[in-house]
Amino acid sequence: MLTRIKGGEVIDPVNGRHGVGDVWIENGIIVEPPAGRQPDNTVDVSGCIVMAGAIDIHSHIGGGNVNTARLLLPEHHSAHLPRPAATPLSNLGWTAYQTGCLYAQMGFTTVVEPAMAPGNALHTHLELADIPIIDKATLAVLGNDDFLLSLVRDNASPDMIEDYVAWTVASSRALGVKVINAGGSAAFKENVRTFSLDDVVPSYGVSSRSIVKTLQAAVANLGIPHPLHVHCNNLGVPGAADTAAATIAAADGVPLHLAHLQFYGYGTEGKRRFSSAASQLAELVNSTPEITVDVGQVMFGQTVTISSDVLRQFSARRNASPKKSVIIDGDGNGGGIVPYSYRKDFYGSLQWAAGLELFLLITDPWRVFFTTDHPNGAPFTAYPALFELLMRREARSEMMEGLHRGALELTTLPSLDREYTLGEIAIMTRAAPARLLGLKDRGHVGPGAIGDVAVYRKDTDIAKMFGAAAFVFKNGELVVKDGDVVALRWGKALRLLTQPDQAIVKRLETYHQERYGLSLDWFDFPDWAVGREQPFGEVPCKA
Amino acid sequence: MTVAWIGNRDALVQDAVKHAAELLAASRCPVISIDADIEGTRAAIALAQRIGAAYDHPDPGVARETAAFIDAGGLFMSPGEVRRRADLVVIVGGLPEEAQDFVGELAETAPDLAGANARNFFVVGHGATFPSGSNVPATRLSCEGADLVGTVATLRAQYAGRHTALSVENFGQFADAFSGARFTSFICSGSDAHPLVLEMMQGLVADLNKKARASILVLPSSETGWGSTLVSTWTTGFPLRTSFSRGAAEFDPWRWNVGRMIEEGEADLHLWITAASGRQPPSGENMGLIALTKTDQPVAEAAVTIPIGEPGSDHDAVMFSNRTGTIAARKAQSSDLPSSASILRAIAEHLPAETDRPC
Repeated sequence: MLTRIKGGEVIDPVNGRHGVGDVWIENGIIVEPPAGRQPDNTVDVSGCIVMAGAIDIHSHIGGGNVNTARLLLPEHHSAHLPRPAATPLSNLGWTAYQTGCLYAQMGFTTVVEPAMAPGNALHTHLELADIPIIDKATLAVLGNDDFLLSLVRDNASPDMIEDYVAWTVASSRALGVKVINAGGSAAFKENVRTFSLDDVVPSYGVSSRSIVKTLQAAVANLGIPHPLHVHCNNLGVPGAADTAAATIAAADGVPLHLAHLQFYGYGTEGKRRFSSAASQLAELVNSTPEITVDVGQVMFGQTVTISSDVLRQFSARRNASPKKSVIIDGDGNGGGIVPYSYRKDFYGSLQWAAGLELFLLITDPWRVFFTTDHPNGAPFTAYPALFELLMRREARSEMMEGLHRGALELTTLPSLDREYTLGEIAIMTRAAPARLLGLKDRGHVGPGAIGDVAVYRKDTDIAKMFGAAAFVFKNGELVVKDGDVVALRWGKALRLLTQPDQAIVKRLETYHQERYGLSLDWFDFPDWAVGREQPFGEVPCKA
Repeated sequence: MTVAWIGNRDALVQDAVKHAAELLAASRCPVISIDADIEGTRAAIALAQRIGAAYDHPDPGVARETAAFIDAGGLFMSPGEVRRRADLVVIVGGLPEEAQDFVGELAETAPDLAGANARNFFVVGHGATFPSGSNVPATRLSCEGADLVGTVATLRAQYAGRHTALSVENFGQFADAFSGARFTSFICSGSDAHPLVLEMMQGLVADLNKKARASILVLPSSETGWGSTLVSTWTTGFPLRTSFSRGAAEFDPWRWNVGRMIEEGEADLHLWITAASGRQPPSGENMGLIALTKTDQPVAEAAVTIPIGEPGSDHDAVMFSNRTGTIAARKAQSSDLPSSASILRAIAEHLPAETDRPC
């Protein structure tokens, strides 16, 4: 099957294309224009923008904590639409099925679930397997687990730590590694209530910094394409910018990705001792080339915060809205689910502005990524509105009219004129995520890429344009037309090809038998368990 | 070759499947009791969506646990953390039979992450039991004249220093144990505990966490029930007691209580799925029955009986495990008995292309 996507404005920063032209797909793969052949199918996209399918590097779309949020908040679900449609909790798109459809309708074709507990990997992959259309990937969470903390405490060799990380990634079918408040959840289990970068997990005598550095080195040495994905300490705390700055400084020239930086963009100025420090953080990011960040933009309205930063979520319980929450002391990190409503008050206004400051002040679109930390800052369905805010300063000005003036005065946002171009959007949401994750087969529309293509009908209403793609192709198959899903298919979960050393498997078997009274089999699973044919796609490590 | 039954007559499985599909398509108010593995639940929910059915689990403890979770959330912990960290274990009310092995395991092991070499055990309420034969003593916290809700409420009030009309026997021992504990774990289940007990325990644990760490391990009253709850939640956004009778999924724990619907004559056809031994489907007036169960004979009064295998025993399966607190794969000795998922999918294939939803 040869398809010609004809006459659109192709924006492909990877291959230096920005102009009217065609994209050809044959058997699911983008190909050179085939000389002398007629297409089986021609889709005329004149007047439209053509980009690769978008990639979301950080969105909580499946797994134990996400499902716990669904269970805690059945009122979030759209099936309550028989109630008034304006019910605040009525439109978040919560099921696995809706997640795939809604992402595809916006032109997203790959989404990374960034916080998979390794012990809960099968549950996560079962959920991801039920998300239609898009490809998925996961990051395995380490850094609060007894096995790793014990290795660090005992000054285990880098080889042994790398073997353990490789086994975790392989057994959990992950694409990379994330650390969430390194040591913080373990310390909380020992009744520690605040935990910063140089604090120590009591029973281990291991600092948060040493955990981050250990994992950063292991990820780099294993050739895992995606740098260690770090959720820093002190999320949401006034003055958290200092913690983020210290973590950036700790990168030491080795790649490090900081997640949802907006939630650390807070200083302690003003009478409420809560101010924006986003401009200082942006400056640090700009001057530290080994650092990449995603923003975690806040948008106003009801959402639910889902995090494996149990210590932080425990303290956030008092702000739950509605007044209920779940805190889980799990193996390793655990999780916390706290519903929350971002209001246009002082705090909400400041958080909203801080995120936009990061977007607009970080100069390199290859190093800042488009996220709301779904659903923590806002549900991913807010993306079209966020594109509008980034691309049109008038839209920001209009929004600021209704916000807390005192909060905005503690930010630089009112003075920022930058407007993202379509080329920068294509970098931030396509080319850069693919490069960051090591996915050479996507993020561009050059020959050899998979046929993931999003076509948007040009419109001065940017939110409308990005909210309902004119056409979306997934692996060459037309799945969305005029904003509606027209075909369902099952995507794959992308996993890294790592080969765990057999010695570590033996050691882990003994460990699990002794400490948990269970065979290691309970913490691994065969592919058939996911219940779909070929549920996984393989991604190689760096040479 | 596996045999099925249409009424009391032997039938080929494919004929029984076809007849079941005809009955489901003709039903005005079908209901499904799901006691199945993850794949079986996936297939049952997909079928429910096709025919506009309500679905539920036969164990009412699952609904109690779900209600407590939705209403109040709370603090929870995993079984692995209890084993490795809890140096004070408080068992509240009765636990499911399959949980007794885990409690026995706790009695025989020390928490290696708590800095102590022993655990203290308490049991709350007269229904709470401790494994017989254990050498580890368990102190009972009981309250004369109070049920389990009252006992836990009194325990919470006494801990908070409030005046109480009743008093908990051995409260002083508990307070002393808690003050010296590194991590306290309460263990309970919806199999025995009223939702108010679970909610009151959450209040107590929240109070305890102001000073030290404590949390709750809820051992679901049914492993298949909790597994199905998880699947239903990611599939429809709702736990069990959800219905597709009006097209979209609707959750209503009273209205779509399948046991109640059968008892009150609201349902006209019951698809009963279980491979557990010793179970009998509830009977309802003027109600048809399709039984998918592990049997070598037709189920009494069933219009269709189709044998299925036991997940994890007769066929490979993915199931929720109380022992790990998550979903795990179980390799099985293969048998001729099919999985519930395969039968349910076969039934779905025989439904008319556009099955009209009732109402």
